[in-house]
Formats: sequence, structure tokens, C-alpha cells
Amino acid sequence: MAKKKINIENFVRKLRFNNNEMTQQELADLVGISRQTVVAIEKYKYTPSLELAFKIALAFHKEIQEVFYIGK
Amino acid sequence: MNIKIRNTLTEIISAAIAIIWMYSKLNAAANMSITSITQVLVQGIGISILAAIFFAIVIAIVSAIMTQSKEKNVVDERDNIIEFYALRLSSVIFGISLVIILTLLGWFNLPINFGIIAITFSVFLASICSTFLKIYLYK
Repeated sequence: MAKKKINIENFVRKLRFNNNEMTQQELADLVGISRQTVVAIEKYKYTPSLELAFKIALAFHKEIQEVFYIGK
Repeated sequence: MNIKIRNTLTEIISAAIAIIWMYSKLNAAANMSITSITQVLVQGIGISILAAIFFAIVIAIVSAIMTQSKEKNVVDERDNIIEFYALRLSSVIFGISLVIILTLLGWFNLPINFGIIAITFSVFLASICSTFLKIYLYK
């Protein structure tokens, strides 16, 4: 169990569109990251740190578990 | 092409230019004195720095003209992680090449001139390999 890799997925893309079609650049500016990092997070190519995950959740006024979840 | 990949390409181009320049100047390395070899190597490092600055400016201007916008270069945690991976790879490559160079120097009884040149080139090789890794990770 401990060595099994966990796939952390997210609803960032969906939440952006639900927030007045927020652009990737706008989200990046809000949380202080580059647009390329937003792209990587949305494609599940990069799992953000806990701090960044909280910042993203706060940007959408959501709890962290409403933005990030464990995928299959 | 995003700003991260553009910056990385700048690093590769400048390192390649410095390597080519130094290689052209060090043709008769066996007959050169340590002082003249060191001068060439120091000049090569200087050229790589100047080339990096020059290409960074040129590519930024060309990109701004083509895209009609100025992309901000924000450094975040993902950049730091990628930078860390690249640094680790370059350390490994440099370490391995250093051992190989020292072994070859002793094995074939080569002059120290070759050692100095090979060590400098392995620094550039490690730098180029790490920048390729950065491009792969940014893709």
C-alpha cells in the first residue's frame, strides 16, 4: 500500500470554465505560477505541492478535496 | 513554443557555440602551453555567457514581434523541481566523465593539456544534456 503510486487528478479545467471562463493565465496570476504549470496541472502531468493545491482551491473558493481527488 | 523552452534553447545554442569556438581554437592542443589553453577555455566560457545573453534578448524580441505579446517569465515550484532534476543529471554526467577522463589520462599517459580540455568540454556536455532534459520535462 505504501509503495503504490497515487494518481492525483483534479477539476481545475472544469472549475475555470465555471468561474466565468477564467483563462489559464488569469489562474496562474492569481496563484503566482506560470501558465505552463497550470497547463501541466490540468493535464495531470504535474502534481502541485500541498501549498499550491490549497492556493488553487482558495482561488476557486473551494475546499481542497473539491478540486483534487485520487484517480483510478 | 513557450518561454521556458525558448530560454532552454538559448542555453543549448550558447553552449554549442562556445564548444565549436573552443574546438576550432584547440586544434593543436598537444603543442600548446597550459597558459594558452587556459586562455582559450576562459574565453570560451565568456563567449558562452555573452552568447546566452545575446540570444535571450534576440529570441525575446523576435517572439514578442511574432506573438504581439510579452510573456512573463514566472519561476514557480515546478521550475525549481525541473531545475533540480537537470542539476542532478549534469552532476552525474560530469562525475562520470571526470572519472573516465582521469582513467584515460593515466591509462594512455596523456599530457595534462588534454585533461584540462576534456574536463571543460565535459562541463559543457553536462550542461547541454541537462538542458535537453529540461526541454523534455517542459514538453
